[in-house]
Amino acid sequence: MAIRVLTVEDDERIRASVKLALEDEGWIVDEAPTGEDAIAIFQNTPADVVLIDIMLPGIDGFELCRTIRKLSDVPIVMVTARVDTHDVVAGLEAGADDYLTKPFAPKELSARIRALLRRVRPSAPGHSKLVFGNLEIIPDEGKVTLGGKDVPLTKTEFRLLCELAHDPNGVFSREVLLDKVWGHGYFGDGRLVDVHIRRLRMKVEVDPAEPTHVVTVRGLGYRLQS
Amino acid sequence: MTFAQPTARPPRYRRTRARRIIRNTARALLPRRIGLRHRILISFGAGAMILSAILAITTYGFTRSSFVQQRTTAEINQAFANAKRVQTDLLADPADVIGSLEQFGSAQRLLYSNGVWTSNSKGFTQADIPTALKTRVVTDVKAANMIVDHGTNAALIVGIPLEQAHAFYFELESLRETQGALRSVFIALMLSGAITTAVGIGLGLLVSGRTVRPLVQAAQAASAIAEGRFDTRLETTQDRDLEMLTTAFNDMVATLQTRVERDARFTSDVSHELRSPLMTLAASAQVMHSRRDELPERSQAALDLLIGDVARFQGLVEDLLEISRFDAGAIRLINEPLALLEFVRQAIAVSSLPRTDVIFAAETDQILVQGDKRRLARVFANLIDNARIHSGGKPKIIIQFADDDPTKSRVWVIVEDDGSGLIDGEEEKIFERFSRGGTAGQRAGSEGAGLGLALAAEHIALHSGSIWAENRRDGIRGARFIVDLDVFVQNEPALGAQRNTETSS
Repeated sequence: MAIRVLTVEDDERIRASVKLALEDEGWIVDEAPTGEDAIAIFQNTPADVVLIDIMLPGIDGFELCRTIRKLSDVPIVMVTARVDTHDVVAGLEAGADDYLTKPFAPKELSARIRALLRRVRPSAPGHSKLVFGNLEIIPDEGKVTLGGKDVPLTKTEFRLLCELAHDPNGVFSREVLLDKVWGHGYFGDGRLVDVHIRRLRMKVEVDPAEPTHVVTVRGLGYRLQS
Repeated sequence: MTFAQPTARPPRYRRTRARRIIRNTARALLPRRIGLRHRILISFGAGAMILSAILAITTYGFTRSSFVQQRTTAEINQAFANAKRVQTDLLADPADVIGSLEQFGSAQRLLYSNGVWTSNSKGFTQADIPTALKTRVVTDVKAANMIVDHGTNAALIVGIPLEQAHAFYFELESLRETQGALRSVFIALMLSGAITTAVGIGLGLLVSGRTVRPLVQAAQAASAIAEGRFDTRLETTQDRDLEMLTTAFNDMVATLQTRVERDARFTSDVSHELRSPLMTLAASAQVMHSRRDELPERSQAALDLLIGDVARFQGLVEDLLEISRFDAGAIRLINEPLALLEFVRQAIAVSSLPRTDVIFAAETDQILVQGDKRRLARVFANLIDNARIHSGGKPKIIIQFADDDPTKSRVWVIVEDDGSGLIDGEEEKIFERFSRGGTAGQRAGSEGAGLGLALAAEHIALHSGSIWAENRRDGIRGARFIVDLDVFVQNEPALGAQRNTETSS
C-alpha cells in the first residue's frame, strides 16, 4: 500500500514542489495550508507520516504536533528554520519524531520518512515477549505494558524501546541509537535521542525522575534493565 | 590709501606668530605624547611651584631689605658714636692711634691718618675697602657706607671723616647674624615652596584622577562595545559638563546598537526570506532531475547548471545566515566531547573531497576535543573546499600536537595543499568576508562566495581555538591552514561522546 504523507505548510509553492518530489517516490501526498485544515484532513484520512512547518498561521506547529499526538501515534517530521534555537527541543517535546531545517533536499526528507516508517526488527524465536520487571514488551504486536496496563507509545518511541530491549543490559550510545532508530549518520543530532528517552521515561517509568528501566550509563549511553 | 591695508597686516601677522610661538613652546614643554593625566599633574605642580617661587622671592626680598636696613641704620649710628669717641681719643693723644681704636667695643676698625692706615684687626685692611667708598670718604670727605663681601660673609663698612683729627675712620661690622637670619628665612621659604609644590602635585593627582575617571570609564565602555556588548552604557552623573559626554556617548551607543541590530536582522531576514523560494527551487529541480533522461540534451545541460547553482545558492544563504547569527551574537553551540580523529574522518567523509588522507601523530588518536560537531565539521569542509579550489584537489590533513606546547594540551589540525601558496600579506586577508585572495582570482574561482574562511575563523573563535594560514614549511609550494584547539580529555576514549546525556537523566 502506498505511503500517505500529509504536508502542512503555508507557502503554497513549497507545498506544491514538495508534493511533486514526494509523489516521485510513489507516495500519496495530502496538503494542508493551516493547522486547522491539517486536523480536519487527518481526522478524515489518517496519514502514515505528517510533515509540519513550525511557522504556521493560526495554530502553530507545536500546537498542531500536540493535537495530532493526542489523536495518533503517527510519525511526525517537523520543519524548523534554525537548528540551534529552542525550536528543535520544543518541537520534539511537543511530540515530533524528527526534524529538518529549511531548505532541505526532498531526497533527505524521503530518507527520513523511510527511516521513521521502518518496522521493528522481527523478534528472535522465543523472544516474542520481553520482560523487564513490571515492564513487558511484545515487539511483534507493538504492545507494551507496565504493571499489566497498556502503555501507549508512538511508533518511534516503540522502536527505540525495542532497540534497547534487543540487547538487555547492553549499553547503547547515542550514535548507535541515532543510526538504528532514525537512520542518521555521525552528524545526527543527539538531542533527538535525549528527548525521546525523556518521553519514553514519562510513559514506562513509575517515577520518571528516578528511572529504573531506561537508565543512563554515565558517559556511555542508555540501557534498558528490569 | 591703497597701502593702508598692507600696513595694517603685520601686527596681526605678528600676533598670530606670537601665539604660534607660545603654542609651540607650550607644545615643546608639554608634548602631546604626555597623557592628559600627566599634563594636568604637571600643570598643577608647575603652577604651584611658580606661584610659591614668586611668593618666596618677594617675601625674601622684602625681608632682606628690611632686615638689612634696620641693621645698617643701627650700625651706622653706632659707627658715628664710635667715630666720635675715637676722634676725642685721638685729639687727646694723637700718638696712640692703635690705643684709640682698641679701647672699646668689638668692631674692626681702620684709621687713615697722615697717609698711614692703622687697623685694630688683621681681618680688616685697606684692601677691604672698595675704591668707591674710599674716594667718597677720603677725597670727598663725606660719611658713607657700603655692604661688601668680606670673606665668606657680607659686612657693612662705614666710613666717617674725622675732620677735627684730620683722619678717616672706617668701621667694619659683620652682617653674619643678619645673614644667618636671612638664611633661615630663605630655608623656610624654600621649604614652604616645596610643600606648596607637593600639595599642588597632590591636588593635580586628585583632580587629574577625577577628570580622567569618566574618560577611563568611557574608554572601558567603548572597548566593551567594540567586543559586541551593546547593552553597555555610561552611568549618568549629576555633573553638568560630564552629563554632556555621558548623554552623547549613550546616545551614540544606542544608535549604533539599533543600526547593528538592524543590519544583522536584515541579513537574517533576507536569508530567511530566501529559504522559501530556495526550498521550492531545490524540490522542483530534483523532480526535473529524476526525469533528466526524458529531456532533450540542451535542457539537460541547462538543468545541470540549475541544480548546481541551486546548491551553491543554498550554501551561500546558509553561510549568510550563519554570519548574521554571529553578528547578532545568537549562536549557541551544541557542545559535546568529540574523539578528534574519528570526528575529522567523519567530517572529511561529508566534505567535497571525501577521500582526503589523514596523517596523525602518535597519541593524537586518543585526543578528545569539546565542540559542536556540525559546526566544526563545516570548518573542515570549508578548509577542504578552499584547498580543493585553490590547489586542484589534493589536500591532506595532519593531526599533531601544537608545536609550541610541550604539555600536549593543544592540538593542531592542519589542512595542507600543494597549490600556489600564499602571497605576502594575504595570510590574514583571506579570512575576511567575501575576500577573493590575491592570486588572480584563483582562490575563490567560480565557487563559493568567499565566506567559507571567514566563517571558519568565527567558528573556531567560538570554540576558543585559533586558526591561521601560512605557507608550507617543508619547502614544497602550497599553503597550510592550522586549526588550534584545546585538548579536552586524553586517553579516556570511553568517556567520550555521551556527556550531554547526563543532563537528560
